[in-house]
Amino acid sequence: MKASTRWLITAAFAVWGARSARAAEVKIISNQSVTADTISAGELKSVFLLQKRALQDGSIVAPVVQKSGATQELFLKEYLDRNPEEVRAYYYGLVYTGKGLMPKELHSDAEVVAYVARTRGAIGYVSSAASSEGVKILAVVRQGHEPERRLLKRVEPEYPETLKRLHISGTVRLQLTISPKGNVDDVSVLGGNPILGEAAAKAAQQWVYAAAARRSTVEVSVPFELAP
Amino acid sequence: MQWRIFRLALLCFWAAGLGQAQEFKIHDRTVQVHGFASQGFVYTSGNNWLTMNSNAGSGAMTDMGLNLTSQFSDKLRVGAQVYDRNLGQLGQWHPSLDWAVADYRFKNWLGVRGGKVKTTLGLYNDSQDVSFAHVFALLPQGIYPTDLRDATIAHTGGDVYGNIGLQHRAGEIAYTAYAGRRSDSIYSGYPYLLQDWQVFFRSFQGWQYGGDLRWTTPLNGLTIGASRMNQSITGKGTFVSLFDPAAGLVPIERTTKTYWTNVFYGEYMVRRLRIDAEYRRDFFEIPYVPGVNLQTNIHAWYIAGSYRIGKHVEVGSYYSHYVVENTGGSSLAAIIGPTDPSEPWNHVYDKVISGQVDLNRFCYVKLEGHFMNGYGWATYPSGFYRQQNPQGFQPNTNALVLKTGFHF
Repeated sequence: MKASTRWLITAAFAVWGARSARAAEVKIISNQSVTADTISAGELKSVFLLQKRALQDGSIVAPVVQKSGATQELFLKEYLDRNPEEVRAYYYGLVYTGKGLMPKELHSDAEVVAYVARTRGAIGYVSSAASSEGVKILAVVRQGHEPERRLLKRVEPEYPETLKRLHISGTVRLQLTISPKGNVDDVSVLGGNPILGEAAAKAAQQWVYAAAARRSTVEVSVPFELAP
Repeated sequence: MQWRIFRLALLCFWAAGLGQAQEFKIHDRTVQVHGFASQGFVYTSGNNWLTMNSNAGSGAMTDMGLNLTSQFSDKLRVGAQVYDRNLGQLGQWHPSLDWAVADYRFKNWLGVRGGKVKTTLGLYNDSQDVSFAHVFALLPQGIYPTDLRDATIAHTGGDVYGNIGLQHRAGEIAYTAYAGRRSDSIYSGYPYLLQDWQVFFRSFQGWQYGGDLRWTTPLNGLTIGASRMNQSITGKGTFVSLFDPAAGLVPIERTTKTYWTNVFYGEYMVRRLRIDAEYRRDFFEIPYVPGVNLQTNIHAWYIAGSYRIGKHVEVGSYYSHYVVENTGGSSLAAIIGPTDPSEPWNHVYDKVISGQVDLNRFCYVKLEGHFMNGYGWATYPSGFYRQQNPQGFQPNTNALVLKTGFHF
């Protein structure tokens, strides 16, 4: 492929992707001891506001935060809806009243990944471009108005070869419509690179959720990352 | 004063270094160390305020705390904090155990904490010393009177608490129920005020129990809640009888007949804007002489707003409204008649503007203007004391508060 063509494709994807930059550029990682594969946006907020220590499946988690930087700002804005100064003041409010412990603060994606990999129950956030060697990636489920559906079978998407060659990664946001039996009836791509979105949608159609009384919709984030 | 600020600045730079290394290990357990200190300067026109000689400018406004906390297991956390302060004639540099807690979280919806526990009452009671967490140098004094900090700040006993997610995206409920004993420092505002009435308490303590319920609503950023506290407090000491002053100091022991507090509050945060409001009512009744009880009935509320302009600057404003009614119960009530809240000795109306600059992650400077009408002087403190205003009170007081501090 010519360099100019390659540049054009990359630029086009970058423009498309920018629309869904924000959550798409952050991924949630946990230590392998955490049994859950997904975490709801509400749970994530409660965990990082130190209001909950246990996930729905019973896993005990301890949040790890970044001291500063774009990833920190994106995460806080997208999932906690607060700015870094507010969150820091909130943490200190707990620390100085004996009602909480300051979460582990680290400087970079690499430090967070390394700490989460070696610390039981640790849960953190890194940019989607960061390596996730030795850690687990948790898909974030954004609930509709229905009660949460537990994911029973997850099929990982295939990484499109072209994008892999171009070193394009990212996170895709999908909206799934789930039948009462638990099958995924419909998938809409809400954000992210469209080619990655297509691959994620194809995989998500094979997912199976726990049965429920009626149809429901959920939003999920599917990260695509390149091996280091 | 200048020396104090210089020392604080030095500590600030020292804290910036500490920020990188604020934990150590004992037997493989990580222990976090955190601390804070602040220094204020107050200048007033009108009345002297908060037991300071503030008309001449006063720097007698210092506080500091240091804590150690460790997560012993997934569910058990222990820690303690020492706190010391000097505010005019209050505190007087007598350090106290601010809190010492063992906290066990069984489930998200059920946890217990015991020891000396900070009391959850309204939005900021437990965190009122955490000055850098809000833009204001002084929180609305009608609800959070800094001279009466001891009255509600902590109880020695226990809490049951938890968070319960509601179905159908109805938000989340956080609850706290508590019971324990309150023990005021004799260097607190109430014993100090009573000295002017020739009552000298050696101890002022008793039972407190109550609860707090707060609902994080489905509307993003909106929290509303209510708190209740019941108390039974006994003061012991000596006094000079108005009817027989020649007898000198004679023993006194008084226990409140009724003592309760209700607080209702709401907070809304959207992007960089925070708006909060609280209403509080305190009612207590103390036997004065046989057949006569002194009743104190306080209504207070505030509305506050703050906005973060950038990474380092935040501005805010509030209006605090405080009305105190003092009546003699039973037979005296008919003679004294109802309190007129429009009289300056029965209220304090405070308009405030404030700004905070964060010098770095650890240090801040606040500048605040108070424009107060009334002095609420009565048998219960409201910031203005006769000991510092022997010539009598002025109806209006303006105050300039400069406060700086650090934390790590």
